[in-house]
Amino acid sequence: HFYLYEKVNIIHLHFIAQLQEAFAAGLLKPGMNVLVDKPKKLVNNVEGLKQCLADFRKDLPWVERLDLTNLPAANIISQAEEKASAPAAGELDADDDFQREMFFYRQAQATILEAMPLLNRHSIATKRPEDYFAEMAKSDQHMQKIRKKLISKQMIMERSEKAKKLREQRKFGKKVQIEVIQKRQQEKKAMMSAVKKYQKGMTDKLEFLEGDQKMNKESSQGSKKAVNKKGPSAKRKYKDQKFGFGGKKSGKKWNTKESYNDVSGFRAKIAHGKGGKKGKGGKQNKRPGKSVRKKMKNRS
Amino acid sequence: LCLCFIVVEKGSPSSKNQKCKGKERGPPGKWTNKERVLIFSSRGINFRTRHLMQDLRTMMPHAKADTKMDRKDKLFVINEVCEIKNCNKCLYFEAKKKQDLYMWISNSPHGPSAKFLVQNIHTLAELKLTGNCLKGSRPLLSFDPKFDKEPHYALLKELFIQTFSTPRYHPKSQPFVDHVFTFTIADNRIWFRNYQIIEEDGSLVEIGPRFVLNLMKIFQGSFGGPTLYENPDFRSPNMHRREMRLAAAAKVREKQMVKEMQKGKKTSAKEDLESDVTADVFLTPAEEKPADIQTEAPEPKVVKKKQKAFKRQRMQMARR
Repeated sequence: HFYLYEKVNIIHLHFIAQLQEAFAAGLLKPGMNVLVDKPKKLVNNVEGLKQCLADFRKDLPWVERLDLTNLPAANIISQAEEKASAPAAGELDADDDFQREMFFYRQAQATILEAMPLLNRHSIATKRPEDYFAEMAKSDQHMQKIRKKLISKQMIMERSEKAKKLREQRKFGKKVQIEVIQKRQQEKKAMMSAVKKYQKGMTDKLEFLEGDQKMNKESSQGSKKAVNKKGPSAKRKYKDQKFGFGGKKSGKKWNTKESYNDVSGFRAKIAHGKGGKKGKGGKQNKRPGKSVRKKMKNRS
Repeated sequence: LCLCFIVVEKGSPSSKNQKCKGKERGPPGKWTNKERVLIFSSRGINFRTRHLMQDLRTMMPHAKADTKMDRKDKLFVINEVCEIKNCNKCLYFEAKKKQDLYMWISNSPHGPSAKFLVQNIHTLAELKLTGNCLKGSRPLLSFDPKFDKEPHYALLKELFIQTFSTPRYHPKSQPFVDHVFTFTIADNRIWFRNYQIIEEDGSLVEIGPRFVLNLMKIFQGSFGGPTLYENPDFRSPNMHRREMRLAAAAKVREKQMVKEMQKGKKTSAKEDLESDVTADVFLTPAEEKPADIQTEAPEPKVVKKKQKAFKRQRMQMARR
């Protein structure tokens, strides 16, 4: 005991002496000896682990343990989309929540699919019969709460969907309304221009009226019979022609080719003065002719 | 959203031992696999841990509860507690700093034990976990193939199987298998999930609880003994928090340094520019003008004003 201590002491002294020598020789400089962390050695006693496992394991029949080791079942969705199923081959990304949970889900699924035949062989049931009443892990009250929450979530979603649809409809409805108004305006315009054309005599077709009626008929199933079948009556037409439509008389009193060539109103006797004077013998002071009047005017 | 999966079970929570028509509730076989798990915790746990423990006791009919243990006692006292309760497995939850939760799982008298850091705890009571199962029904256990690849994982797998699987014909168990525990390894952690089996073709709903175990050490003995394995990827939560704080501090310090440097640049003595020799090249001095000094004041200017007659007068004159 004492000897060991002495030995250690001697070695220590020896070491110090060496340092002193080195210092004297100027070999020691500041910063030469850097403090280095000894790399942490982590225990991984593989042999020990295996030994422990061998000692510890209980070789129970499968029925007692009900354990299975398997990879997750094939991901149908990703197969359908032909996505490269990365987790199947390589590392599962623990940060991608959805992927990770799907991985666990599929692992459980694969276990079930494998275990079903085994359980059936050992006649262990997975479905309890309808009349089997037993306590559940979560109380009925709790399940009601869960149900209510799910329903409320669905309601909220539905409501938001409806609101969205309504908004869309309103936009669409507005569009339709604008279109209808524009269409009506266009029709009115066309109608008015057709009517004006008829008034001016550019067209003597009255189809624009009929066109309107035809559409009305189509729309109102002919409930309204056409009262004015051929437009205004002949008398009306004559009067319109004679007296006009209240101010639009331009060109009505001019000669057209037909009216010029129309000599039906020609009375030769009257035209050549042979018809004789009328009963009274004409006027007492007959108005002189134009040339005579002119002369008179010039004279005066 | 799977609303259809909510089946309000025809369970009657009050009557536990209700016998149905002529069926024997007690299973016919003999209970041979005598596994009992002691689940308890230290003092200073929070509500989530407490609920997790309760949930585990619900899920495992072969589990027993015990009072909270004082953390001052050494861990091997737990072995004695287990012996008193006649349990051969133990799940001990230890809470430190009211923040971190550690879980010990051990085979009581001589067997191996492991210590984990537990994270991401979700209990049965969460409304998003919508599944349900019979209380005391036996679970299927599902393991990742990675458990078979490493010796330490293999040991853990055996430990989990023995702890979590309900023995057949246990008096408190139900003879049906309607839920499945999954243990998966991802990101060097063990993820635990519990699913309810709805259809035999594999449609599942999660029941809960769920948690993540981060392995720290495996010991050869129960709550002690030589270390068999240490997880190299494990970082203690304290170190983690410290690192975060240091990172934040480093950022602040860097910003300050940059600010100081900028300040220094502004206030440092500026160099005087030397006179530029080439600046005089383009100077052309103007010609000198003779200086004209006026000694007398200039004469005032005489302004002749035209005397114009008034308009009326002008008109009159014009008329004449």
